[in-house]
Amino acid sequence: MVVTRVEVTPKQSQGMRDVRGDSVRRQLFSDHAVSATEVRSIVGFLIKSDITEEEVAARSDDLFTDPIIEVGFTNTLAMTNSEIFPSAPDCVITIGFKPGVTDNPGKAAVDGFHTIFPQATDAEISTYITYAFYGLPSDCDSQWLAGTIYNGLIQRALVSDSAACANGDWPEIEFPERLPQVFTTPERVNLEISDAELEELSYTGLLALNLEEMQTIQGHYRDEATRNLREAIGISPDAPTDVELECLAQTWSEHCKHKIFASKIHHVDTETGEDTTIDSIFKTHIMDPTHDMQKDVDWLLSVFHDNSGVIAWDDDWSICMKAETHNSPSALDPYGGAMTGIVGVNRDILGTGLGARPIANTDVFCFGPPDWEGDLPDNLFHPSRVLRGVHAGVRVGGNESGIPTVNGAIVFDDRYIGKPLVYCGTIGIMPRRLADGRESHIKTPTSGDIVYMVGGRVGYDGIHGATFSSLELTEESPSSAVQIGDPITQKKMVDMILEARDSGLITCITDNGAGGLSSSIGEMAEYTNGCEIDLAKVPLKQAGLSAWEILVSESQERMTVAVKEEDRAAFDALAALHEVEATAVATFTSTGYFHVKYNEMTVAYLPIEFLHDGVPQLQLESEWKSPQLEPFSVPAQSDHNDLLLRMLARPNITSKETWVRQYDHEVIAQTVIKPFVGVERDGPGDAGLIAPIHGNPHGIVVSCGIAPRYSDIDAGAMAAASIDEAVRNAVCVGVDVDKIAGLDNFCWPDPIESVKTPDGRFKLAQLVRANRELERVCRAYRLPCVSGKDSMKNDYGSGEGKISIPPTLLFSLFGDHPDVRYTATSDLKGAGERLYLVGTSKQELGASEIAFMLKESGEAGGIGGEVPQLLDPESQLNTYRALSKTIQSGLVRTAHDCSEGGIAVAVAEMCIGGRCGANIDIDGTGTGDLWGRMWGESLGRIVIGVSAGNEADFVEAMSGHDITLLGISTVGTTLVITDGYDELVELPVEQLVTSWQGTLDLTGGVA
Amino acid sequence: MVDIPKVAVLFGFGINCDHETKAVFDLVGGQATRVHVNHFINGNRSLDEFHILAVPGGFSFGDHLGSGRLLGNRMRFALREQLHAFVAAGKPIIGICNGFQVLVKTGLLPGPAAGQDPLPDFIQRASLTLNDSGRYEDRWVTLEFDSNSPCIWTKGITRIDCPVRHGEGKFVLPDNTDFDMLAANNQLTVRYVDPATENGEGITDELLPFPLSPNGSMRNIAGVCDATGLVFGLMPHPEAVYAKWLHPDHTRNTAPGPESSDVLGEWEGEGLQMFRNAVDYVKANL
Repeated sequence: MVVTRVEVTPKQSQGMRDVRGDSVRRQLFSDHAVSATEVRSIVGFLIKSDITEEEVAARSDDLFTDPIIEVGFTNTLAMTNSEIFPSAPDCVITIGFKPGVTDNPGKAAVDGFHTIFPQATDAEISTYITYAFYGLPSDCDSQWLAGTIYNGLIQRALVSDSAACANGDWPEIEFPERLPQVFTTPERVNLEISDAELEELSYTGLLALNLEEMQTIQGHYRDEATRNLREAIGISPDAPTDVELECLAQTWSEHCKHKIFASKIHHVDTETGEDTTIDSIFKTHIMDPTHDMQKDVDWLLSVFHDNSGVIAWDDDWSICMKAETHNSPSALDPYGGAMTGIVGVNRDILGTGLGARPIANTDVFCFGPPDWEGDLPDNLFHPSRVLRGVHAGVRVGGNESGIPTVNGAIVFDDRYIGKPLVYCGTIGIMPRRLADGRESHIKTPTSGDIVYMVGGRVGYDGIHGATFSSLELTEESPSSAVQIGDPITQKKMVDMILEARDSGLITCITDNGAGGLSSSIGEMAEYTNGCEIDLAKVPLKQAGLSAWEILVSESQERMTVAVKEEDRAAFDALAALHEVEATAVATFTSTGYFHVKYNEMTVAYLPIEFLHDGVPQLQLESEWKSPQLEPFSVPAQSDHNDLLLRMLARPNITSKETWVRQYDHEVIAQTVIKPFVGVERDGPGDAGLIAPIHGNPHGIVVSCGIAPRYSDIDAGAMAAASIDEAVRNAVCVGVDVDKIAGLDNFCWPDPIESVKTPDGRFKLAQLVRANRELERVCRAYRLPCVSGKDSMKNDYGSGEGKISIPPTLLFSLFGDHPDVRYTATSDLKGAGERLYLVGTSKQELGASEIAFMLKESGEAGGIGGEVPQLLDPESQLNTYRALSKTIQSGLVRTAHDCSEGGIAVAVAEMCIGGRCGANIDIDGTGTGDLWGRMWGESLGRIVIGVSAGNEADFVEAMSGHDITLLGISTVGTTLVITDGYDELVELPVEQLVTSWQGTLDLTGGVA
Repeated sequence: MVDIPKVAVLFGFGINCDHETKAVFDLVGGQATRVHVNHFINGNRSLDEFHILAVPGGFSFGDHLGSGRLLGNRMRFALREQLHAFVAAGKPIIGICNGFQVLVKTGLLPGPAAGQDPLPDFIQRASLTLNDSGRYEDRWVTLEFDSNSPCIWTKGITRIDCPVRHGEGKFVLPDNTDFDMLAANNQLTVRYVDPATENGEGITDELLPFPLSPNGSMRNIAGVCDATGLVFGLMPHPEAVYAKWLHPDHTRNTAPGPESSDVLGEWEGEGLQMFRNAVDYVKANL
């Protein structure tokens, strides 16, 4: 084997330029105000193969170099070519991957290399990139510069500073050889040790199990009958193997078992005197309500137990949705963490029923302020870098998978510096029945079915993801928990699996996510009550992985699929056609045991029941006492023109178009309402609307709601606001409110009282209140939660520097739309539209965006006060139903959700979308004072526009509901807002546009 | 005479617009099948079975080593004879977005200069490279078509709106003489134009500013055809506006309905005609 180096750099003549380098230049300026005159880029390949340098050089233009636009070099550093690089740069930085880190361009290059050199079957290619910086400020430190563009957790960087550059001393990166892994024979782990030693074992082994759980495991191995059975099968009778202990730790992790939501909670409310016990908030407040609703409708096909919730959409198709978080990995490597988040949730859809096709993504992110100037704790990235990385990961993951991103949000708060929240959701579609008559939402495995691992291989990457995410982030968080996704390997797998499904080959399928094979096969084995796995059959990225590592590794892009013995040949043939690796690794049994072997040796032998139901229920303490906050008081002097422009520029309100436009939001040719709408296609869209069956206008609405700051006052109000926002957004595009389903994704700081978390009781009480409100509102809205997830350890550090996120519920909604031809968007449709407020503005300014803004600027003291409440959701639903019908009938084509920034911001955004003025009077719009009516965020409010010709019909259709005429859209291009005779705002629409669009355009200038 | 033209819509390896590309041919009277690239390469299926070949958009091989390069190579080395015979038989080929990139990298587009043997010689003459903005973007653009183009796909179409969704859409052809010859032969079939211009008068060689031209393409090129007019490729996505409800302005315009049937009728989008042209061409000529 020889290693051949190929370097490629863009030509820079005749209208061609180095765009990759220029992007780095602009980013450097945008993020750090450091200006370079020029940055040039070189892409490098290190090819390890039996093909000689000469042969590679002769075919370089066929593969590595595009001769029209690039120049290539073989076994020569491009920097040494004085024709291409005539002058010495100030700094040269080469960035390559660390050994074992997923290198997608390298993988693709190997594939391309095989096309040209079919004989080079064991070729390996590693890629890197070199940036040459010219015209840097003289005080710009080269190492600092490198630190801004590479992540030491997954990458290597070599730097030539100005002195080295002057010498012609260029970085020369070598092939990243993986460290050899040594297979260790499964070991017996002695659990006959003291309690303190049990806890120590859990802590040092990253098992994330508490003492009671460790003791339960200890007890299992003390059982005489267990010992006899184990003796007979040939495994250590009285103690677990390391494989078993790891397997239990994964399966019993908070991440997989949701132990806090399943716990028994002693809840005390110090204000009402309530003292009660709740046996599982999940069962009580989420599952039971949905099961009750299931009795009343025929479209709830599958809830909670599968990888996503499934509803019937029409006679031929059902649809499903799932949302996940990938917070901890995204904190360590924003790009890789977020990418694995989105492609991971896609696999939840693929693993639903007998396999659903992912057709739309949603992304909601919570970050620290992008312009943060305060201190950053060790090992945390600046929020702007987290934003860039997460966005890039989700962009690449979604776009390359061919799944449109149709809805999302980005929320900012200081506390998300400690842990960013990265929510990724996916909607899927599947035929109601397969050709063989089976309903595709029901898995049909039987004992004897062969279990395949399909897709990527298993590597050292991704070990301990599930247990790691069940711990708080520290400086020592392991790099093996971080991975980079490979969307193309996954796309090939998706194509193959959907074809296998349609051919009737699949009896059972699930995703390999947290916990790896131990979770995926373990969960599927519950259907037949047993399985037998041979870990030696599992294809590996590198030899030497130990048995427990193979079992729990969370290496990406893998599905576990069960196939009947007689269908194996057809399944293998499909895998070969699609160039997807599919390996039979297990068989379903009915023995009652999760039986794991390595060749002939039994390495784990656990009763299915103990594995899945053996984890003891947590007993937790909850105590509610309202937080004492300084109330929000309005400033004596206020210029509402100035306030509106400042509010529009707030990170939580400003346009996110620069970022969102980089997502493909309309692949599949189904997206009816795009994320940005209006004349210039830059006004905000309220909800996604898709018509996935080509030629048919039957639609699906996708929306979300999130209001984390209300938790500062009451997490219950936060939950109600999130749900109402999701519904409100869906109503704005004309959803059928009688066929909507929701997903609850809770992200909480650790709510278990301990030395590290002295305020655990309060945080748990917040969770209780949030869930109680969730139940109350969902029952009233007839809105079943069909799937959900929770992430409960969103803290950074402990003690003094501890940062806990605000308790956050993302509520995602998907629902039916009868006919997408009749829908509405937020942009004003031209002069003469009559604008109405649906709903009422109350005096609810607590934790509002205006309160936060004025507190931060020192113009107001606090953010406390009345937080928006949903007092009568039953009648609210009736109003929503009536309004949605006016949209479905074509009466109303303009509607916009009223949330952060109240009516003022909502109407300003409608003017921006329509590039159209409006005259608005907020007098008579509710019980709030001027501030409450202008800036308040009362729930249940939507601003609509209706043509003069349709106005009477609209008013008639809304009779009995709270509507107030606000004003009219105008021929001019000025927004005027008055309160009776008092003029509050008079601003040109173009000025609104400028304020609204400036904040988050971190492009450093466009081409 | 072909009554129902058979259309092969390629998929696999990261192609991802295969479903909608199949749908648009079906909607205009074709019979489209999604065929995995390897079926043609392995010889399970033959291009010969089909009348039209479509290479849809997507991210074949993740765009690594240059968009369209790796899929283009597989086709260039394994399907050379089949593709040559396909064009020689007078059968149309379209490449959309990543498909266009594939056709350019295989040398099918723009193909041999007018006056030479017009059949594919698989020599790459142009390229598609990173947008000047450095960003992948999904945004709507206005396109205008050269009414004198020999392209059989674009007959009778003057101007349409449709989305671009790419990071590497800048058309580059360094040799000005070659470029002028393509222009003279009306092979610069479709360009980005300023929607404020009069219909039919938007085409210009003068570089349009971002975002009117989303990528900085030379001479504002959005798509080109070969000298036969059979092979056509473009970066924007006409299939993404097969229905009016997919147009971003659809809530702004007076609704055509109400209509009870679910056929497109008045709701047909302006992107569909391109596919109808090819289907009609096959019906009339093969």
